[in-house]
Amino acid sequence: MSYFADKQPLVADIFSRYPASPQGRRSALMPLLREVQNAFGYVSETHAAEIASLCGTTATEVRSVMSFYSTYHTVPTGKYHLQVCSTLMCALAGSDELWDHLVSTLDVQPGEVTGDGRFSVQKVECLGSCGTAPVVQIGDEGYYENVTRAKCDRLIKAMRADIPPPPDNPVPVTVREDGRQMTAKGERVGASIHDLAPLTGSEA
Amino acid sequence: MKVVVDGHELDLPAGTSAIDAVFAAGRDVPYFCAHSYLSPVGACRMCLIESGSPRKNPDGTFVMEGEGDAAKPKIFWFPKPMAACTMQATEGMHIRTAATSEVVAKSQAGMMEFTLLNHPLDCPTCDKGGACELQDRAFEYGYGASRFGFDRRHADKHYPLSDFIILDQERCIHCKRCVRYFEEVPGQEVLDFIERGGHTFIDTEEGGLPVGFQGNIADICPVGALLDNVARFRGRNWEYDHNPTTCTLCPVGCSITVDARNGRLERIVAGENREVNEAWICDAGRFGHGFASEGRLTGPLVRVNGELRETTWDDAIAAMRQGLAYTNPADLGLYLGSDSTLEEGVALEALAGLLGTRSVDHWPRYPVGVNAPAATMTDVATADAVVILGADLGEEAPVLELRVMEMLRGGIIPPEFPHGTAIADLRLVERPARHPERLAVIGPDSRLAGHAGIRVTVERASGGDLLGALLNPRTDEARAVLKLLTDAKQPVVILGADVLNSPSGAFATQISDLAMRTGAKVLAIPAGPNSNGLSHLNLVPRMGGLGYARLSDAPAAFISRLDPGKRARGFTVVHDTHLTDTARLADVVLPAVTNYEKRGTIVNLEGRLLPLRQSALNAGEAADLTRTLAALAEALGVRTKVRGLKSAQALLRERLGVNVENLPESGVIQSLGQRHEAPTGLRHTPNLWTERMVPKPNPSSDPRHLTIDPRWELPMAGQPGGDD
Repeated sequence: MSYFADKQPLVADIFSRYPASPQGRRSALMPLLREVQNAFGYVSETHAAEIASLCGTTATEVRSVMSFYSTYHTVPTGKYHLQVCSTLMCALAGSDELWDHLVSTLDVQPGEVTGDGRFSVQKVECLGSCGTAPVVQIGDEGYYENVTRAKCDRLIKAMRADIPPPPDNPVPVTVREDGRQMTAKGERVGASIHDLAPLTGSEA
Repeated sequence: MKVVVDGHELDLPAGTSAIDAVFAAGRDVPYFCAHSYLSPVGACRMCLIESGSPRKNPDGTFVMEGEGDAAKPKIFWFPKPMAACTMQATEGMHIRTAATSEVVAKSQAGMMEFTLLNHPLDCPTCDKGGACELQDRAFEYGYGASRFGFDRRHADKHYPLSDFIILDQERCIHCKRCVRYFEEVPGQEVLDFIERGGHTFIDTEEGGLPVGFQGNIADICPVGALLDNVARFRGRNWEYDHNPTTCTLCPVGCSITVDARNGRLERIVAGENREVNEAWICDAGRFGHGFASEGRLTGPLVRVNGELRETTWDDAIAAMRQGLAYTNPADLGLYLGSDSTLEEGVALEALAGLLGTRSVDHWPRYPVGVNAPAATMTDVATADAVVILGADLGEEAPVLELRVMEMLRGGIIPPEFPHGTAIADLRLVERPARHPERLAVIGPDSRLAGHAGIRVTVERASGGDLLGALLNPRTDEARAVLKLLTDAKQPVVILGADVLNSPSGAFATQISDLAMRTGAKVLAIPAGPNSNGLSHLNLVPRMGGLGYARLSDAPAAFISRLDPGKRARGFTVVHDTHLTDTARLADVVLPAVTNYEKRGTIVNLEGRLLPLRQSALNAGEAADLTRTLAALAEALGVRTKVRGLKSAQALLRERLGVNVENLPESGVIQSLGQRHEAPTGLRHTPNLWTERMVPKPNPSSDPRHLTIDPRWELPMAGQPGGDD
């Protein structure tokens, strides 16, 4: 099952972003993985092998890269992939208890998907939102912050009804050429270099 | 370049790394991840030093400190300790090691504590115990006490990466040596870190490690994480008799250390010889030693009433005297294996001269030699073009393949210091850019062909004139090879079995013409481990004599360490280490020593004289060829000049003009003069892993063979670990 066989323009586009050298080819590894993951929700061994041969590297290295980042999955994930930050600040704010509550409520363990195909869970390293700990990331979309047990229950209920509330804080995903970041939904986040204006007024 | 280490000023070549500056000053700094022939990466953070450099003013003068004549450049120290292996020493740099700096001593002890957090204290059972970098350095540089009160991390302790290599995931300290080794040296990226942080472990997705050079990772692992499965649990490091000698399984002549215990050969590890194998050996050399301790002949056998019976040397000599009594000594064929030493060769030559025998031969050998400027291994590594003609280096000379790979990544050979090879050569980089366009392979497919920029396939069926394909190119690829040779400044041509086996009449001239025209050096891989040396002795059939191919026509024969599976017409004496098929046919079988327990000299493919030293193996009454020939001479009633090693070496000095006593461990290249050539009538097919070398499964290390008696089940059985 070759995924990229009929997507030559896409592959060419991804490779064109990197130098045309053996090292450059290897750099295309991550966008290719992302491409497959966006399509299937995870990267199977077959696809990993295909990407390895496209990049001129080995399946071992593909696995090494994939296992380094918690954002790549080797097993299918649910419609709502809940990622609980387990690093220090969230742990201090109760992410362990939150995790226990989540897995017992959903009756799901890492690597599994609930029977209805809705939920999968994962512990991840620092999501960089220590000020709003504990934090749960939903898929690639954004963060639910200050997730208490009650909030967790509300979120699960909403997701079971397939009407989840929007994330408290969307994840900035795209960085355009001008340095502007865009969320997955195309909303502008932060500033770009064009927004910068020279300082005026009296210098202190 | 002046560098000051702990107050001692020393003069070092530019480009020296700080870690080598420290060792050049005779000081010490611990390290786990740096390795002479691998790129420095600073992964283990043990080689911490304090360093500082003088700084210049905008006008180019140094920022000074002090008044008047006492003024000297002010040293600006880095605010924190730095890893010495990835830092280049610069002009005027000051370095402080743990010996003079509290900060360094404390950071190293802290780093050691950090490394030991999750490293099991397995030393009483670990095979590396007694030879473990971590153990030694923890003793020298650690706090000496543990503040750790938790349960340690537990992971798989017997994780087989291949049949030969077992990984203990708990013991791994993530120095990345094995990962770097595989991608930099043999160019096979099969290992990598999986997961991250405290969960990181080493694994492969390739379904095992490629056989060829995998064993080297057991040598370079600084802890007991990667272990040689053939030698695992065979003995402790201090119980072994370590004997540095030379491997004679192929013509490369790698430096090895033979570890024997209680008269058994238990382990072989690589030795360092910068000129030959650097620090690497092939898997056959490392794992294929089982035969040296298994099923050995320990005493002479004599055929009595059709059956071979054990006897003494005296009776064997008497049996030979009786059996050869009615044979003209000049009709006795003398045949020896090509891994025999020069001393043994000259002893045989002397006896053959004395008997007037014309049927003398050694095997394997090729019918023709090459008279062109010979390339050394270092020439291959530093060449700017290599053409491989009809050779499968994996079978003929594996470590040569590594030197070719070294050429492909730029031919950088770490410099040598008084403390040895540079520990960190900063020119070596991770994932080096390779130059496949510098390598051309002509002939059948091989492992190296995958790395070659130019491939010329010549069908063996269509006559297979490989040299012709190069000299009279008909295809674009072949023309490209010739152009590569012509354009290169230091080209090397490597000749293998497919061209040397059946050379045309003009072969020798063609090769020397090619070498002259292109300025290429030529490395012809000999057929046997010491074929190169033996070819300088007159050990080929003389006029009217019977070659090895016609052994069965000989009226009587003495066959040393060869197994053709047939005997001479008349009385046959076999001298071998094992009861081979040929030995079973013989009238008298004399026990031989293996090359691991021999003293003597061999000549490798470059023409380098390398010493063999004797390991403490139990071989009963086995004797080397020199002494066996003395016994044969006694049986024949002649008095040969050579009766032992000393007289053989004296004769060698006379015969070839070389002094082989006290050869340096790295060997010397010396001209041995004229070669003796003769047609062979046989085709030699190089085969590195012979049947007797394949290791038998070791029941004690394979858990599938374990039978657990429930009566002996201990309370902790089934729980992981047990080291806390």
